[in-house]
Amino acid sequence: MILVILWLVQDLLTVFTGGGMQIPGLFMLGVAYRLLIDDGSGDESLWAIWTAFAGGVLWDIRWIGIPGFFTLGYVVVVLIVIQVWGIIPPQGRVSGTGLIVFALLEASQIIPPALPIIVLGGNTSWGGFFMQQAYSLPAILFTMYVYSRKVRSSSV
Amino acid sequence: MDNRRSSTREFVHGITALILALFLLGVSSGLGVLKSIVDIWGAILFIPEYPAVIMREMFLEWRSWSRDKDYLSGEVTRLRNENANLRLELAKIAGEKIYSPDKTPEARTARVTLRAPMSWWSEIRIDRGEHDKITQGLPIFSNGYLIGRVSTVSLISSWAELITSSSFMIPAVIEETRELGVVEGDGSGSVLLRYIPAGRGVRSGMKVSTAMIGEQLPPGLPIGQIAGEFTPGSDGYTTYRIEPGADLSRFYTVNY
Repeated sequence: MILVILWLVQDLLTVFTGGGMQIPGLFMLGVAYRLLIDDGSGDESLWAIWTAFAGGVLWDIRWIGIPGFFTLGYVVVVLIVIQVWGIIPPQGRVSGTGLIVFALLEASQIIPPALPIIVLGGNTSWGGFFMQQAYSLPAILFTMYVYSRKVRSSSV
Repeated sequence: MDNRRSSTREFVHGITALILALFLLGVSSGLGVLKSIVDIWGAILFIPEYPAVIMREMFLEWRSWSRDKDYLSGEVTRLRNENANLRLELAKIAGEKIYSPDKTPEARTARVTLRAPMSWWSEIRIDRGEHDKITQGLPIFSNGYLIGRVSTVSLISSWAELITSSSFMIPAVIEETRELGVVEGDGSGSVLLRYIPAGRGVRSGMKVSTAMIGEQLPPGLPIGQIAGEFTPGSDGYTTYRIEPGADLSRFYTVNY
């Protein structure tokens, strides 16, 4: 449910800015966060892959007009998070992983909007892309803060 | 064993999702139904997006109004300055006709007989009185500019109040802008023009003369020119410092 809300908030912010400004990928931050706090007991990974796929398709239909761009980017991000996070043993995820968490969350913001630029070229500017990264930073830091609190409360 | 099975499932699902995404990317541009799907999805999202649409419209309206206001405000200031400059130019072209009583045939001269240090900036005594047709309120001039008016008259002499006196207050007009104000002295050698609304394009060098609404003084008597501006008060009015046309530190005779 929270991911639906995040998707809608991301959509409303894009509507508010008229689509002219790149909005932080709140939806993918939510998906990445869910994967980071996953203890590996369930099918969170499979759920994340298809949720990202569905969210990407809907985003593409709404804002790109051609399904596939963000769909592909979202799925790639989920696979990267699963693979990188899978390398680290659960015991080692508690401390000393701040930089990795930041890198994974940053990847969720860089990869999806970069694909349309790489494929379509001039349709979206690199300037807009870097501006989005600047806007995303507070959202990433906030997600890291929530993550650290969650980890701390789980380990107590 | 479970871990390996789980990894395999993740791998299979991940690859499937990737292939599907690439498939969509490859074929969707050629799908005729895609446009309908985009329209339907847009129509569904229209309801939750409606507040954002309204907020965006309000924001754009506010921004447009703000820009227009800034533009118009700048334009008004520019036109005011242009108007003031044109008035100055016009005055120069017109030959700067200044009322000059000491140059008129009927101009009469009086000698200053007393200027007490205690009331240096307030009053002077002149050697003309009732016999010389001096009357109370008569304006006196130096170098063609108003420097005061007769306050008391005796048989052979009179006292005149100077424009630098703190009790001297007369209505005046800025000739270039026709703004009306009150000229008054501060008792310390300065002459001020008060009650001019702020932001009316008044500039240094503009001429100040008596206004038509004066009780005793005729209109158009030159006083001096705007020399500087004090900070506008909270009441929206500005006080200007006037540089008198006459040299109030050095005059031995006056005209009337």
